[in-house]
Amino acid sequence: MKVTKIARSLGVTAAFALSATTALAGPYDDYAGTTLIVNFPAHPHYDAVMKILPEFTKETGIEVEVDQLPYLKMRERQTLELSQDEGEYDLIAYVVFSKADYVYADQLENLAKYFMNPKLADPAYDADDLIDGYVYNIGFAGGNKGYLEGKTGSLFGIPYGSETSILGYRKDIFEKHGLEVPKTYDELLELACKIPELEPGMGGVASRAASGHHASHAFLLHLAPLGGRVFDDAWNPIVNNEAGVQAANALKTLVDCGPEGAASFGFGEALGSFLNGDTAMFLDTTVVAGQIDDPKKSQVVGKVGWAMHPEGVRRGSQTGGFGIGIPANALNKEAAFLLMQWLTSREGDKLVALAGGNPSRFSTHDDADVNAKFPHMATFGEALKYADPDWRPIIPVWGKINADLGTTLSKVLTEDLDIQEALDGVAERTRAVMEEAGYYTWQ
Amino acid sequence: MHDKPSPAFYALLFTLIFMAVGPIALMFINSFKLDVDIVSGTGGLLFLPTIQNYETALCDVLWYEPDHIDFCSLKFGGAFVNSIIIALVSTMLTLIIGCMAAYALVRFRFMGRDVASLTTLMVRMVPPAVLLVPVFGLWNNEFCLDKDGLIGGLIRDAFGGRGDVCLAGTHAGIILVYIAMNLPFVIWILQSFIVQVPRSLEEAARVDGAGPFQVFFLVVLPLIKPGLAAAAIFTFRIAWNEYLLASALSDRNTKTVPILIVNNMSEFNVEWGVIMATGMLLAIPPIIFTLFASRQIITGMTAGAVKG
Amino acid sequence: MTRERLNRMTPYMFFGPAAVIMVIALLYPLGYMVYGSFRDWDPSQNISETEFVGLKNYITLFFDPAFRESLSVTLIFAGSVVVVEMVVGVGLALLLDRDIKGMSVLRTLFILPMMIAPVVVGLMWRFMYHPTVGTFNRTLDWLGLEKVDWLGQHALLSVIIADVWQWTPFIFILALAALQSLPRSALEAARIDGATAWQQIVHIKLPLMMPVLIVTALLRLIDAFKVLEVILVMTEGGPGLSTEIVALRISRTATEFRELGVAAAMSNYLLILLLFLTLGMFAFTRWQEARADRIAAAAAKAPEV
Repeated sequence: MKVTKIARSLGVTAAFALSATTALAGPYDDYAGTTLIVNFPAHPHYDAVMKILPEFTKETGIEVEVDQLPYLKMRERQTLELSQDEGEYDLIAYVVFSKADYVYADQLENLAKYFMNPKLADPAYDADDLIDGYVYNIGFAGGNKGYLEGKTGSLFGIPYGSETSILGYRKDIFEKHGLEVPKTYDELLELACKIPELEPGMGGVASRAASGHHASHAFLLHLAPLGGRVFDDAWNPIVNNEAGVQAANALKTLVDCGPEGAASFGFGEALGSFLNGDTAMFLDTTVVAGQIDDPKKSQVVGKVGWAMHPEGVRRGSQTGGFGIGIPANALNKEAAFLLMQWLTSREGDKLVALAGGNPSRFSTHDDADVNAKFPHMATFGEALKYADPDWRPIIPVWGKINADLGTTLSKVLTEDLDIQEALDGVAERTRAVMEEAGYYTWQ
Repeated sequence: MHDKPSPAFYALLFTLIFMAVGPIALMFINSFKLDVDIVSGTGGLLFLPTIQNYETALCDVLWYEPDHIDFCSLKFGGAFVNSIIIALVSTMLTLIIGCMAAYALVRFRFMGRDVASLTTLMVRMVPPAVLLVPVFGLWNNEFCLDKDGLIGGLIRDAFGGRGDVCLAGTHAGIILVYIAMNLPFVIWILQSFIVQVPRSLEEAARVDGAGPFQVFFLVVLPLIKPGLAAAAIFTFRIAWNEYLLASALSDRNTKTVPILIVNNMSEFNVEWGVIMATGMLLAIPPIIFTLFASRQIITGMTAGAVKG
Repeated sequence: MTRERLNRMTPYMFFGPAAVIMVIALLYPLGYMVYGSFRDWDPSQNISETEFVGLKNYITLFFDPAFRESLSVTLIFAGSVVVVEMVVGVGLALLLDRDIKGMSVLRTLFILPMMIAPVVVGLMWRFMYHPTVGTFNRTLDWLGLEKVDWLGQHALLSVIIADVWQWTPFIFILALAALQSLPRSALEAARIDGATAWQQIVHIKLPLMMPVLIVTALLRLIDAFKVLEVILVMTEGGPGLSTEIVALRISRTATEFRELGVAAAMSNYLLILLLFLTLGMFAFTRWQEARADRIAAAAAKAPEV
């Protein structure tokens, strides 16, 4: 603790020296020397953020101390901190499905008052350049269904480290056997099971399937393109309809034709098997691109091509990842806003993209430097156009439904539970949860 | 009893030793491999050993900056210091408080003795998972000092930080739980050692004019050293290894090594080499204890079980 | 006068610190938990803001298939590890009960697994069980055998194996100590009577060791309900709920589902279960002591008659 104090006073002198030389009163002067405590996930995008933070401190004199946690753990910590009178954190990165909880419990600052403040808001910020789907999915609350774009909504966070789903494939394997990159789900499923025949020992698609969040995530990934939804417009669970069964079947097929042990794969294992060359395709988030090109981790550098998430009855790639917001009980809200604005600005977004992060702006996806360094960026930008903000409901009780869906699907994958029966069970329990939470009050 | 052991006997012995030590040796070897080597599985022992994993793990305490990492994400050094503080302090306090209590139960008849003795025995079975919910609630919300109050205000001024001063997130908070968790076991195990101390020695000392505390510290304690050693090792083991309660109670400054290891098994990036290196670092102190004090450990274990 | 008063205070001064700590950090929390288990309690609430819901949490849990499954997983896990460890541990002790130099080395190396952090044990085994990279499947592959989906289809078995690895030595060492403290005279007599090694084991060694073995088994059983970290690191309870022991479910309910009241009720169920086991252990030792006293008394009486 003493060390921070010393650091703080050092920061003050440094800032003083800085302002003395520049002489011009800048927007950051009032806050130079402040130490912000921020909570970020242990995640490739935020690892890239860690690399650019020193740049922010150099530019503004604001110190940043980062508490990096695994993202499922982060939520637990935040739940505690946000409910205190005075929280530890000045800025948090939250998983998209935490949005519902935090906003509902009045724990995140509405950003309107910061963007209205001429001393804080940067006129060059160019909010229109932020990718719409992400903004509504991650930052917006109070619109249609409570979590979508809509006239009653407002902004509580800004997408940062947002992802969509994409299909990675092994160019060398596809060339060797003269295979076509799958464009539809039928092609994808057929090809996924053909690969193990063509290349003995190699799996078709690396998918996550581990019990809980992973299995649920993998299922939802297929649900949207196959035309399904978890709820209809009146909040009735329809996860057990035909599209739901089809999506579960698709997941099962992919896992069955996947690499060995696929049914217990978490995200890390799934990615690992692709990096290790054990699978021919990878269908999941865009966040992996940086690692696939890293020779320290990957054995498939330069062999991977990218394509859009295959189409079912419609295109619908996922929208996910993280947003950053200011806790209502933060101590240094204005400085936190400055950091948030800096990180998500055009320059910040480009910096983080070059450091291996996931950009959240259209301009960054089109940027020549970024594309030169990461040629896949253009395909990713294209995929964003079809990102589906409603692929998963973001409501406060989702955590519980998600866990149930995930464990039930894991049973389908490992214990050969009947799919229809399993999903009927999920729907029934989901209805009970929704009933208790009051979603049927108006019916 | 002293028949010549057959070769089969030695074969069995070696198999058992191999099975007991094999996984640990595997971890040790893998902690010196690059991830690429671990994953591709090229040759068990044929690889170029590297200390890169240890450098990554210990990057916050190294005096130089290893060039293979861009920024130091693992704060292993800090967590190691936390673990040491928490384990040592809680072991010492548990021992002192525990052997005093054991002495009281063995040597004195006092009101409430039976209740105390029985309660101590019963709470031994409480699993840490059961304590999770109440301890989380109490330590974060109830066991707090108002930040505007006298002592709370002083603490906030002296140490900084935000909000009310609560037990959660402090070393003291974690140490308190560990002492409470270990006390019943320590009292229980030390009782069987104190019983064996001859009363005549204590009485002789008392005749010489020693007070009860002098008798205890100067006569009894030196005689139960083996018991203390055993109890110390077991207490240290739990305090050093515990994950669940520490993870619920610690904040970013008081994380212990087990938390760090679990957190580092982050799903985005299974870095086996670094994980193995951190695991190895966590395992080293208990391994050293075992090698040097195996007799005390075994005495402690048998004393524990035989005196049900 | 004051001296006497001081003497009377002495035991309380010795026991006081321990009592204070156990009350503050063990008994009070347990009471707090019981209180909380009757409430609808969210982690973002202070307990005073929560609503009293009576037995609702207990009833919900009683009919909750997920909780029932995790309860049965716990029972299967605890039951099988204790049985396997007892059989293997005692068997090894009987086999290796000799005075040779290798023994002390074996005993030292054998305790290593117990002393290492469960978290580390979990990660070692998770690595060895890994479907493609792991040691076991590599070895199987090398031998030309079919790979096994350890942490997938056979997750519970795999978790049991890891626990057996870690805790069999505990049983082994206790059984060995018990064996070596057996009265030599009985064994000598049996040998002179020409009893085979097997007969000696069945008729003399095992019955004489029985009291210690039963206490050991009960101790191990109680500890088996405390296991959490190893499973958390290896499988996180999956796949499905196949390895989700109650301790893990408590922690998930509290943190992931954010239902502290339900988690408290679940903790209470677990506590009651363990209470019965502990009481069983007490009853057994009391009975054992009483029997030993009777036998001693009878033996003391015998010469007089």
